[in-house]
Amino acid sequence: MLEKIKNIARTILSEKQADGVLGLIKGQWDIIQPHIFESPVEVDALVIEPKWLLAKMAMTVLRSSREGYRLAVVVRGCDERALTELVKRNQIEKERLVTLGIACTAEQAQACICDRPYPQKLDCGEAVAGVDTLSVESVKELLAGDGPERMEKWANILKRCIKCYGCRNSCPICVCVPCKLEDQVWVETGVIPAEVLSYHLIRALHLSDTCVACGACQEACPVNIPLMALQMSMREMLRETYGYEAGLDPDRKSPILYDLCKEPAAGQALPDWVNSLRKDDES
Amino acid sequence: MKILIFACKWCGLIGADGAGKKRIQLPTQFRVIPVECAALVEPDAVIRAFASGMTGVAVLGCHLGGCRFNHANHAAIKRLELLKTLLDATGIGGKRLLISFGTAHEDHQYAEVVKTFFDELEAMPSTAAWIS
Amino acid sequence: MSGIAVFLCRCFGEVKRVIDLDSLQKEAERHNDVVSSAVCESLCLADDIEKTASRIGESGADKVVIGGCSHLARGGAAVDALVERGIKRSAIGLVDLREACAWIHKDDPERATEKAWDLISMEIAGLHHRRESDDVTVSVCPEAMIVGAGPAGLSAARTLAQMGFKVHLVERGSNPGGMLNLISHVYPSDEKASEKMKTFVDEVDKNSLINFYPKAKINSITGFAGNFNVQVSSSGGEQRLRAGAVILASGARVWLPHGLYRYGKLTNVITQMELERQFIKGPREIKTAVFIQCVGARNHERPYCATMCCPSSLKNAVRIKEENPDARVFILHRDIMTPGSVLEAYYRNALAKGVQFIRFEETNPPEMLGDEHVESVEVFDSISRMKRTLECDLVVLSTPLIPNDDNVKLAHMLGLQVDRYGFFSEIYPLHPLETRMDGVFICGSARWPVSSDNAIVQGEGAAAKAAALLGSKAFSALSLSRVPGEKFGHAAVNAEKCTGCGNCVAVCPFAACRLQKMGRKSIGRVNKLRCKACGNCVSVCPNGTVQLPEQDYRAVAAMIKQAFGGDSAL
Repeated sequence: MLEKIKNIARTILSEKQADGVLGLIKGQWDIIQPHIFESPVEVDALVIEPKWLLAKMAMTVLRSSREGYRLAVVVRGCDERALTELVKRNQIEKERLVTLGIACTAEQAQACICDRPYPQKLDCGEAVAGVDTLSVESVKELLAGDGPERMEKWANILKRCIKCYGCRNSCPICVCVPCKLEDQVWVETGVIPAEVLSYHLIRALHLSDTCVACGACQEACPVNIPLMALQMSMREMLRETYGYEAGLDPDRKSPILYDLCKEPAAGQALPDWVNSLRKDDES
Repeated sequence: MKILIFACKWCGLIGADGAGKKRIQLPTQFRVIPVECAALVEPDAVIRAFASGMTGVAVLGCHLGGCRFNHANHAAIKRLELLKTLLDATGIGGKRLLISFGTAHEDHQYAEVVKTFFDELEAMPSTAAWIS
Repeated sequence: MSGIAVFLCRCFGEVKRVIDLDSLQKEAERHNDVVSSAVCESLCLADDIEKTASRIGESGADKVVIGGCSHLARGGAAVDALVERGIKRSAIGLVDLREACAWIHKDDPERATEKAWDLISMEIAGLHHRRESDDVTVSVCPEAMIVGAGPAGLSAARTLAQMGFKVHLVERGSNPGGMLNLISHVYPSDEKASEKMKTFVDEVDKNSLINFYPKAKINSITGFAGNFNVQVSSSGGEQRLRAGAVILASGARVWLPHGLYRYGKLTNVITQMELERQFIKGPREIKTAVFIQCVGARNHERPYCATMCCPSSLKNAVRIKEENPDARVFILHRDIMTPGSVLEAYYRNALAKGVQFIRFEETNPPEMLGDEHVESVEVFDSISRMKRTLECDLVVLSTPLIPNDDNVKLAHMLGLQVDRYGFFSEIYPLHPLETRMDGVFICGSARWPVSSDNAIVQGEGAAAKAAALLGSKAFSALSLSRVPGEKFGHAAVNAEKCTGCGNCVAVCPFAACRLQKMGRKSIGRVNKLRCKACGNCVSVCPNGTVQLPEQDYRAVAAMIKQAFGGDSAL
């Protein structure tokens, strides 16, 4: 698999499909780090493990490089979705981007609790089935219990927050400068523990329809807050109600932005009288 | 009990006004913020309200298809429904956020919506876990 | 000096009876931001307004909070007087102490007073963060674009040209006339359609102010009231037009009853339009004819009455009778819709001429008998409760008008709304020719199926509305609003903070937001004249870049903080 991806990368560079390939390199002292390969010879040192999200890096590279510079990126499923979201949000020009899709293994999918461990454009590897996120024991437990029980559980979890902003900084989709979470109006600054409710709910809600379930926020959290469980429930709601998943279709924007005639809801979460809008439901 | 009501000027606020004119007696523990359209209610503001210790937040707007800003309230209801999912996931309870469109235009309807919301919240467990 | 002045209105005791205004005033005096406060008898009285205004002058306050009556009163004369004295409208905060507090909490004066103070302190907190939207003044391009050269569009064009305005008349077909080209006579005047049209078409030919664009297609419409930019491709090639107002008179189209009454399979089952075409060619002798009404209308799919089908059938039934008085003509209907004295007389005339009317039920429609052509029609008469078999040599189906397919596309370009069927919606029933987008007017069957006479009248009406706009030299963005009362404001983007995500563009119901390239970055822009201040963009902006200055997010947050005595629970 590694050899195959190297060959594709070499072809891309030699055929000038892109000016550089962004991937991981095993460098001096066997340290693995992101690298832009610009000649086919260099590609020998390319590696694909471990999982390392490159979407935001690709955005930074494309922003600071010369006009017309084209970049190929070695992506996993989540990375590809993140890039699609960034293209949709006008952060990356689509024409300057090439992706080399690799699939994750079943073990990796399990570890990430990933429901789609493969890219849409798969160049290398076998796509394995995703995990049914909400039926995984650890997630189930977090979302279990009735109101007060769950509230106490989450209050205790979120109170661990030391407000390092790691979840925000590691997120491949968070691009706003300045960010609302730094605004005194929304989240009181200079206090620890953080104003947990506003910080975490605002963060989670802002990503509700753009979250690609890469899990970077959770991995970055030094106090192990299971942030993905919140995103999973909202992703599930969007999937059920609107049949929408972030990062799949580059031409479909979030259904949250459109009216109910253009992006009708399945009626799951919306009140029944929304149905009165449908043409065929005339009484 | 602390309830915050965002009332759209063209629906909920008219109902609130009518309830006053009819002298319908209501519990005192709610405050109304008038807005031009329910679409102006940022979900972040609703979160802010919960973080400031509100027991419940209500957003009252015009009925779907009756918004004077074309389809503005459609998008509003979608955003707020999504927020409900999040409130449910964290155990705060989506029921603490009342989204009621086109149901509070008349005085008695408004009074009913407010009273029912009070009763519902009364029956819910306290949010002390967050506040302590 | 600056600060806030607080005025509490006793409302002749209505508020005072429940709320302890004196203690509220004391509380206000203790507030850091308040420089002046007073309790007045009633801020409806000229005397009190005068006193209040002079007090503000003395204290040097630049912001005012009025605790008085309903928000719906918008502060009444007191606000007008303050604005006159140079206090900005956005610097006046209104607190409803009467309807929203005193009257609904009569039984609990103590807590009502507490609540009243909370409401006032919320307003004081919010007032700090409210600003007025920047206004712009734009000049008006005194030209109009009319979409569609049917009776409505032609009459609008004629009216505007007679007033001296230049008109761009854009037509999908190659000739003016619209649906009048397709019918022989118009009801209720029974004039020949071609003659009725001639007067208008002559005007288009003669009047140099009217530019006619045949075979035209609208590619894009940008801009705003007073300055629309339209990209049109017509037989004259691609063109860019400027117009101050747009009149949509694009009409509607006839629904074809495929699959109903074996239409298309039986040779002598035709639609009303096909009969009209036969009449255009010349008189035709028919021995027995059966008209069937409400074909594909007033049903589950199209629950509306298209209003023009009953009079059309009456017209053609009488015509057949006049050509051949011995002809047997039946109209099978569910209800005959002929409102008003003129159309009712039309109906009575048909009765007098011997046209027979048979009522059937929607659930039990007539049946066509025959193999290649209709030999007879079987119908269950719902009044006599009897089945009747009518021998005939012609069946005419009356079908409704349905909206044009490109209505939705036009609506998206212009930030309009279409109704659930696809016709253009008016702003309110009381403003039938105006739309939610300023400078865009609707008339004729584009807004709802109408007769040619009505279309002509509506065209004139829309032209008059457009002329009122085109006649003004310039206007300001804030003065533009079809919503009663003042326009609330308009959204503005902070270009430095904008990430260019495009959420606002997607969500705007008025197509007022767009992305503008700034170097390699895209930045959101709000068109002040298209914006109606619904606030959707504000709510979807991930980092608060778009704001409505009149209701800034900081104002809302400050109000929330003060909502219950200011003691944030956290």
